Amino acid sequence: MAPILVAQGIVKQFGGLTAVNKVDFELEAGSISSLIGPNGAGKTTFFNMITGLYVPTSGSFIFAGQKINGLRPHEVTRAGIGRTFQNIRLFAHMSARENVLVGQHTRLRTGLIGALLRPKRVRDEEAAAVTKANDLLDYVGLSRQRSSDSAKNLPYGDQRRLEIARALATDPQLLLLDEPTAGMNPQETDDLTKLIRRIRDERKITILLIEHDMKVVMGISEKVTVLDHGAKISEGLPYQVASDEQVIEAYLGKGAAAHGKSGRKSSASSPSA
Amino acid sequence: MNKTTRAWLTGGIFGGLIALISGGLVGFLAGIIAGMVTGLLVAKHVVQRTPMEGFRRGAQNGLIAGMFVLVGQLLRGLLINPIIDPHHAGLHAVYTAALGGLVLSGLVAGLFGAVNTLPAPRNRAWSVGLIVLLVLAYPWLDQLLELRFMNEIIPVIVFVLMALGLNIVVGYAGLLDLGYAAFFAIGAYTTGLLASPHLGVNMSIWIAIWISAAVAAIFGLILGAPTLPLRGDYLAIVTLGFGEIVPIAVNNLDKLNINILGYNVVKDFDLTGGSKGLNPIGRPWLPFIGEFRADSPIPWYYLILIIMAFSIFFIMRLRDSRIGRAWMAMREDELAASSMGIDIVRTKLMAFSMGATFSGFAGAFYGSYISAIFPSSFAFDVSVMLLCMVILGGMGNITGVIVGGLIIQLADRLFLPQLSQLVQKLFEKSDIAVLKELNFASDFRVLLFGLTLVIMMNIRPEGLLPSADVRAELHSGDDDDAVVATGVKQTV
Repeated sequence: MAPILVAQGIVKQFGGLTAVNKVDFELEAGSISSLIGPNGAGKTTFFNMITGLYVPTSGSFIFAGQKINGLRPHEVTRAGIGRTFQNIRLFAHMSARENVLVGQHTRLRTGLIGALLRPKRVRDEEAAAVTKANDLLDYVGLSRQRSSDSAKNLPYGDQRRLEIARALATDPQLLLLDEPTAGMNPQETDDLTKLIRRIRDERKITILLIEHDMKVVMGISEKVTVLDHGAKISEGLPYQVASDEQVIEAYLGKGAAAHGKSGRKSSASSPSA
Repeated sequence: MNKTTRAWLTGGIFGGLIALISGGLVGFLAGIIAGMVTGLLVAKHVVQRTPMEGFRRGAQNGLIAGMFVLVGQLLRGLLINPIIDPHHAGLHAVYTAALGGLVLSGLVAGLFGAVNTLPAPRNRAWSVGLIVLLVLAYPWLDQLLELRFMNEIIPVIVFVLMALGLNIVVGYAGLLDLGYAAFFAIGAYTTGLLASPHLGVNMSIWIAIWISAAVAAIFGLILGAPTLPLRGDYLAIVTLGFGEIVPIAVNNLDKLNINILGYNVVKDFDLTGGSKGLNPIGRPWLPFIGEFRADSPIPWYYLILIIMAFSIFFIMRLRDSRIGRAWMAMREDELAASSMGIDIVRTKLMAFSMGATFSGFAGAFYGSYISAIFPSSFAFDVSVMLLCMVILGGMGNITGVIVGGLIIQLADRLFLPQLSQLVQKLFEKSDIAVLKELNFASDFRVLLFGLTLVIMMNIRPEGLLPSADVRAELHSGDDDDAVVATGVKQTV
């Protein structure tokens, strides 16, 4: 299949620090891929560059045939890339439903005059938007009773789900999930993994994850890319990456790879220990 | 404290203070206010089943609140009046007003209590209807009771209208604006230039008011532009600067010189009248009513009410639209909002210009009403006053901002001056030499105003009628804030 996102020679420098160093990257349409690496490897910086929050120092991103670096965040979203955040960034004082409605912003057309006069077209659009918001809340498994609660009053797991619903509301072709299972118990992690797979299977949305939970990564990714100190050190099928000596070294330090099989196993089954 | 107790206590304190400070026939009005506040609060917190029960419950509490009015009225009439005016007569009037206040308080509270027993959407509509009725009937009441408050109340409403506009910027979009009076000035001066003989334009006020709002909106964009990359304190400082620039510029534009390539294109052109200001500014004209006159405030009153009603209607529509949601999302988390597809630049500029529009309307009306405008009417303290109105009432809540605005403005324009005059007179009659020297009336008004703010903000930091979530925020611990991180910590 054709790649939906291509990154060519991406570099990002903050002053003297090179956060991401000449990363080439391809994402197949309809795949689930993961971006892993130790803390500070440049994963979230990479996400922020895709979504327009940072501008790459050099290199380019091509999304669905269109160059997207240099676009502002809302333009990237309009182009079809949705995202969630590592440390949940919901609109805390707005209800769950309103959060999802905000997500639909670029797909709605009501302007100033429309908002003031509220003709039939606007009323219909608004009603459709509310229906879609409710559907999305159902889809990610947030109960109807909860949908009028302020986002900040939702339980932690529901907040994570709400962020995904909000990102889905932007009608993305590509969904970037930044540590979606962080802080979840095994049961919640399991449910969320299923949800991610369903989103890909039912909605044909390409998914790129940043994830520390190796069980999740190994379980659902079709391709894993490993960053360390801003550089891509390994890429391939999950089991290939898990046994890559450079990867084990990045996670566990020099010498760990020499211990052989036991070292490999631990890197595959536990988060960055 | 029990909710019912709080209801009659709040209503009673308001009514009692008004009666004590103003005395005379104001007692009737104090009774109505006490009854309204009590009735609304009781109806809000206590569920009644039948209209009769509702009326009884409301009236009971209204009567308790009315007792405060009665006591205030009697204290004023029997104790204070003899001191400040020994020759006064008319104990009869004191008793009438005291009893009248008591009865009206019970009656009005009962009405609000009864209306509340209607099924869910209608009870609210009827409560609003009753308030609207009282507001519409006010000029009649004013005449009947010989209050002569109309000339004070019209600017009060103008300021409340501006507070509603400021609420868009501060309450919805979360942009702290310390220079909002600038748009008031721009609206007033645009009308001043277009509808006065100063430039020889003499346009009808009905057209000038729209142009003023549009010009204010454009200036909203102009102010908005340099603030785009800023937030919080820095934004406030830039708006503060703009708020200072406008009155000073207006003050100095009486000798405008423009040189282009050495040619003096405009020489000593008097654009704004400098510190002398502009006057006379044209007044509205309507069939049957004719031209509005300075000595008959009633048409002005209804005109500003109509402007107010339309403004509230449109602000509510904006709030509940895609645009309002974008403002609130931006207020909550700018970065997340932009990642959800909201164009931050557009949304911010829209907030500034919509906020400015309502101020432009207010300025145009005010200019025409006062008929003369001066740069000093738009100084920094106006901006601060407006911000206080928004914060005291409850940021982001239209009803709250109206209530907060009314309280601050009525206190500032009516009751605090009366209070300070009262204290002044008491001082003059007292035997203590130091007190006689004090000029309380002119010196202490601002002090009293500040004191009111300090007390109010300590009792209710979230404002009088906060939107529900702000209250939760201020009265819960910090524990749930830890869950939703809102800081800009987007590092790897």
